[in-house]
Amino acid sequence: MMTLIRRELLDNLMTFRFAAAVFITLLLVVAMTAVLLKDYEQRLASYNTAVKTHQRQLQEGKTYSVAKLSVDRPPNPLSLFNIGLDKRLGNAIRVYHGHVPTLWDAEMHGSDNIFLNLFTSIDLVFIFELVLSFLALIFAYDAIAGEHERGTLRLTLTHPVGRGHILLAKYIGAMLCLLVPFLMSLLLTVILLTTSTAISLSFSDFLRISGIVFSSVAYLSVFYFIGLLISVIARRTSTALMLAMFVWGFLVLVYPSMARTIINLQESPQTRTASAFNEIKQMWEEFDRERKQFFANNPGLGKDMSFLGIMRGGYTVEHVEEDSSILQYYYRIGLHVGKLKEKFEPQVPHIQNYYRFLGLQTISTAERAWLVRERALEDIFVRPANIEKILLKLSPVGVYDAATQAWIGTDLDGICDFFTKARQYRQTVIDYFYDKEAFGDRKWFSADKGAVDWSALPQFSFQRSDVAINAKRALPDVCLLLMLNVALFIITFLIFVKSEV
Amino acid sequence: MWHITKREIYDNLNSLRFALTTVLLLALMVTNAVKHLREHPKRVQRYQDAVTESLNHLTDRANDSLYTLAQYGPGNFYKKPSPLHFCANGGEFLLPDAVEVDEPPVFMTDSEGNRLLEGIWSLSYPDANLHNKDVGPNVSQVDWAFIIGSILSLIALWFTFDAFSGEREQGTLRLMLANSIPRHTVLIGKFLGALLSISIPFALAVLVNLLLISTADTVYLTTEAWGRLGIIFALALLYTSLFVALGLLVSARVQQSAVSLMILLLMWVTLVVFMPSTLASIASSFSPAMSFDEFWKQRNPIKEDLWDKYKEGLWSSELDDSKLRAKSEFYTENAEREERWQEEQLKYRTSQVHRARAITSISPATLLQHLIESFAGTGFERHLQFAENVQRYTRQLREFVADTDRADPESLHILGVREGMSKKLVNPAAVPKFEDTLNLSKDFNTTAMELLLLTLFVLVLLSGAYLAFVRVEV
Repeated sequence: MMTLIRRELLDNLMTFRFAAAVFITLLLVVAMTAVLLKDYEQRLASYNTAVKTHQRQLQEGKTYSVAKLSVDRPPNPLSLFNIGLDKRLGNAIRVYHGHVPTLWDAEMHGSDNIFLNLFTSIDLVFIFELVLSFLALIFAYDAIAGEHERGTLRLTLTHPVGRGHILLAKYIGAMLCLLVPFLMSLLLTVILLTTSTAISLSFSDFLRISGIVFSSVAYLSVFYFIGLLISVIARRTSTALMLAMFVWGFLVLVYPSMARTIINLQESPQTRTASAFNEIKQMWEEFDRERKQFFANNPGLGKDMSFLGIMRGGYTVEHVEEDSSILQYYYRIGLHVGKLKEKFEPQVPHIQNYYRFLGLQTISTAERAWLVRERALEDIFVRPANIEKILLKLSPVGVYDAATQAWIGTDLDGICDFFTKARQYRQTVIDYFYDKEAFGDRKWFSADKGAVDWSALPQFSFQRSDVAINAKRALPDVCLLLMLNVALFIITFLIFVKSEV
Repeated sequence: MWHITKREIYDNLNSLRFALTTVLLLALMVTNAVKHLREHPKRVQRYQDAVTESLNHLTDRANDSLYTLAQYGPGNFYKKPSPLHFCANGGEFLLPDAVEVDEPPVFMTDSEGNRLLEGIWSLSYPDANLHNKDVGPNVSQVDWAFIIGSILSLIALWFTFDAFSGEREQGTLRLMLANSIPRHTVLIGKFLGALLSISIPFALAVLVNLLLISTADTVYLTTEAWGRLGIIFALALLYTSLFVALGLLVSARVQQSAVSLMILLLMWVTLVVFMPSTLASIASSFSPAMSFDEFWKQRNPIKEDLWDKYKEGLWSSELDDSKLRAKSEFYTENAEREERWQEEQLKYRTSQVHRARAITSISPATLLQHLIESFAGTGFERHLQFAENVQRYTRQLREFVADTDRADPESLHILGVREGMSKKLVNPAAVPKFEDTLNLSKDFNTTAMELLLLTLFVLVLLSGAYLAFVRVEV
């Protein structure tokens, strides 16, 4: 057995294709890493600017009701392995007590040229997907077929070695060879990452990277087994090479695109969207009626609901944020009184009452709308995306992609973590408002007796999920890859045992 | 030579790869056609609804008075969806599909909310689509540009990687050259043979695709569209011949077919996958994008000095001629500056994209992508052309308003102010309507450079293959 492995190893190491494999992988990966690092630094800079802008915007809000509080999603430092949804989905979300924020309400912080998204962006895992799988096939296609043609297979089998042993020896020898370029390029990437000033990797990040390495090795070996299977079936090297290349092109390039296109044909659930949207809209319309009723029942409030007449300088905000495609419908009501006209001073307690009522009403309506919206969004956006993902997993490329995204946290779950955190933060802010009794405060709508002091407001902080959670999310896909390995080995073995030499 | 070509074609026709290629291309093209048939009618419907609404706005305003038309302008402008969207989607989902007409700004209100000073409309160019609702996995869409750019090029390499190295391994190359055939004849024969045997399944797949699309009654292709399709098909052949030449070049130099395949694949990954994305991000990092905040900061000063300039005219409510004229000038200039500022922002971003596009043109795959986009009438250049169409139309509309006003002797000819403009009724039918058009000859002009580059690429590689093959020892 050891002799067989040693022979395979030496055989592979001496070939030109081994040298070429090392060269290709190193070149592509290092060039890619340099470019991706640059890109990450830009995104980080853009994030920092956005955080500063949002802090300034918050300070500019002189009353509670017109304050604009937004939080930003930092770019994922490991996203250069697999960008996933990190760059594509919104990364700035407004936290407002009258609306429960979701992924779909998020915006992009606007300091980049968005037209540049027209250019496709690729990542390291994509390069691995293309190159590693191809290398594995190139190493495997003539493993059996080549020996069969040269006649050495027969010679080997005259010795008392089992056929399983031959396959295993070939597998181990080739995998060891394939790991050399892969690990070397990965090492260089990690060195580049650690020397970069923008990225500081923690211990858990290294655990995540090792997760990626493990998934990559599993992916590599899946393709080696596919190549071996082809080699056993084809028996002639030229046919094997042809078939291997076709299988590679199909699994890596054609199938993912085609699967996505076919799935997209499904009708988007129009009726579901419309019914949920109407339900939410009705809730807010009811809110509006109650508000108007409250206003009518309290003659002390005056006649003008926008309170424009009572002030010198200042503005009022009152509009509906509406987007039926993402089920967004809510009222945004705010008032900024720069200077109150003297004669309206007695009206102030009434206005305070009105806003206290409005604050509670807004929050409860938002919570009720959220209950409907959460389920509907799940049905409309998340479920189809998950079906697509499952369909893509029919190709090992899809499984590998999903596994690495889960490790890094750039998959949908990882991105949603941020928005869960943002929702929690909204709750914290509301609690803070309750503590300060902000809803009935004069400062809720008027800055004539000094502006709101925002320094005591709890800060938002977002930590990426724990590595254990990442591992848990990646586990099914990694298992799938391993199972695929075992299944392919068994099939190859069975065919090889039954085949005549 | 013809003999060699024929031999090659017969060889290929019977091979496994020919069958697999046919199946693969057919499957892709059918997917593409079905997708287009499902989506295109919806796209057209959406466009037509939007245009009808926008036309209604225009008619309503024209019916109201000339002043309303001058103040509110037309409705929003929408980009006409290209019937050849299936050839290249050109990232259309990332691009805005409209140029918006901003509501006239209100400069001053009294305590009852009556508008005292209100300006006139101006154009604004919305940013690229920010709301990406799609949370599905990233994969490229199946359009012709993808099928030709990625798959067909790969197939070309698949057909040629063993053209010489395979024959050398089998020993038939020596046999062939022992006959009195000049080497360049062998090369051209091989080249034509490979190109033709790839074109057969491709042409078949294209035929099925077009048959599906043109027989459906929901999609209608004009004669011009067919002409454009013909050009795209020719482009596909040109691009394929590039990769055929590359395959022959490598195959002539390398001894083993497996090694030749590996080198070709490295080249393919570099040219088709690696270069388009990496070069773009390198190019864009040379000139960092100006942020929206910076643009916003530039905007305010240019507006404030306008206030100072026309201060006396604006604060009075008298209706004498000079005051009205001051108001009119203030409104017009305000709208003009706003528009110019918007245009500058668009130009700045455009130039950045253009720079990135120019650099990525080193890769033939990007060249092809750009060419197909221009001929299919989608993508970035098309978006700019649309913006240009809109600008031309707005000039026309403003001239129309001025001319109509001039035709009325009772009017004071002060545009943008109710009291200064003609009060005669406007015939809505006479108001010019916006139409978004595509121009084939213009497309040819813009793409001439790229076409030339692609042809040059082919020629260089072909002569490279010739030199390599002539000097090689058998």
